[in-house]
Amino acid sequence: MRLKKLAVVVFSLSSLFATSVFSQEESATARQIIDKFQTDLITVMKDGKKLGYTGRYEKLDVAVSNSHDLPKIARIVVGKEWEKLTEEQQKKLTDLFSRLSIASYAHNFKEFDGEAFAIDSEEETKLGGVVIHSHLDLPDDKPVKFDYMLKEKGASWRIINIIANGVSDLALKRSEYTAILQRDGFDALIAKINEKIDLYAKQ
Amino acid sequence: MKSKAVTTLICSVIFASNVAAQTTSNDPYENFNRQMYDFNNSVDTYVAAPLSNGYKFIAPQFVQTGVFNFFTNLKSFNVVLNDVLQAKFSQSAADFGRLTLNSTAGLGGFFDVAKHVGLEQNDEDFDQTLAVWGIPQGSYLVLPFSGPSTVRGVPASAFDAAANPASYASIPAYYISAPVQFMSGLNARANAEGALKFINEAAMDKYVFTRESFLQWRKNLENDGKISASLDDDFMAEEKSSNLKWRDDYQQFQIAAQSFGSVAQKFDLAAQNYEQANSKIAQLKPLKVKR
Repeated sequence: MRLKKLAVVVFSLSSLFATSVFSQEESATARQIIDKFQTDLITVMKDGKKLGYTGRYEKLDVAVSNSHDLPKIARIVVGKEWEKLTEEQQKKLTDLFSRLSIASYAHNFKEFDGEAFAIDSEEETKLGGVVIHSHLDLPDDKPVKFDYMLKEKGASWRIINIIANGVSDLALKRSEYTAILQRDGFDALIAKINEKIDLYAKQ
Repeated sequence: MKSKAVTTLICSVIFASNVAAQTTSNDPYENFNRQMYDFNNSVDTYVAAPLSNGYKFIAPQFVQTGVFNFFTNLKSFNVVLNDVLQAKFSQSAADFGRLTLNSTAGLGGFFDVAKHVGLEQNDEDFDQTLAVWGIPQGSYLVLPFSGPSTVRGVPASAFDAAANPASYASIPAYYISAPVQFMSGLNARANAEGALKFINEAAMDKYVFTRESFLQWRKNLENDGKISASLDDDFMAEEKSSNLKWRDDYQQFQIAAQSFGSVAQKFDLAAQNYEQANSKIAQLKPLKVKR
């Protein structure tokens, strides 16, 4: 039972990174960013089979880049270890982390079974961020809660973290990445990321 | 005698949790836990997964769903009990209605008819009750065969097992309850297939991924799904200084104390309501006699 619930949460986490072509709307609000992102994600899911992995990846590349602050997320997930990396390593990590994020979306959101996103409410955080509360209705299961944490970037907003049924993607990744970096080092982390990207592309 | 046992249990949990809290991580027993995690994976690969696959092959989907509903319904006893222990009285009434409906119209729980009349399943257990009473979660633990838990979760699970009717499923106890429990385990493993597949695909470090998912999921249940927006801002800051850490611990202690006080107040309020209701009934009795 616990593992089944964990499955729903973990499945939800995979929804994290996707969609949205918002480059032309530089001054979009946080709510608009999420709305566009979720709409684009559903569109890609509907065309999932036709697009194939490569097609989904291409569409989601733009969508994710325009809704997420991937460089900042990449920096946060390695915590204090970021300062110990060389500039070249930081660049490599940011690039691969972005590719992995998009690849995981392209892999996990490949078909549509009647799922639907809905935004419930929004609130401001103490340090000037915004949290958008939303949920994903599933055809044969309980809805999954999605809470998007956004920070202002330029004139627009970008996703920093997604909390699916209470499980924070950022916290999860931060624990994993720092553990691997401290235990096995930078090269091992990069190898793991590459391995995951290849795995997603093959399936 | 029983209250003494409960007090001892709670004190031991608090002590164990405090000991664990003195370490910097929520996983001070990582070496042991990783060994148990590997052991459980081996058991799963060579025993649980083959049995589960056999079960899925033999049992049609509606039987699997029915078995799942049956055990979920039995667990509703625990849910109602823990609703009350957490002073969630209106929720306990809804859960009791759900239990009654599924046990009768749902043919002993095999069909989840309550869902179709809007009575959704709530998820409450004794671990959450202990959290509401202000007892810290304690360190992460991986137990052989049963998997992820915490210092607080271990005695809580024992309490839940003792309170679950599935533990006493038969009068000729062993010969019926053992297969029933075995089937419950098979069904749980079959339902976990998707989660295990996802972990295999997504996790960079499966042990850390499982640990963090589990701890966050438990924390979310404790908070009844409410998240605090301010908590997320913590990611924007780097490691907190030791002073800030002490301040956080103190704040957590205060929150726990307030939480416990709040539950006590609710019980007190409920008792007052019963008392008032009793006195009103007592006032009505003489009128009936006069008639």
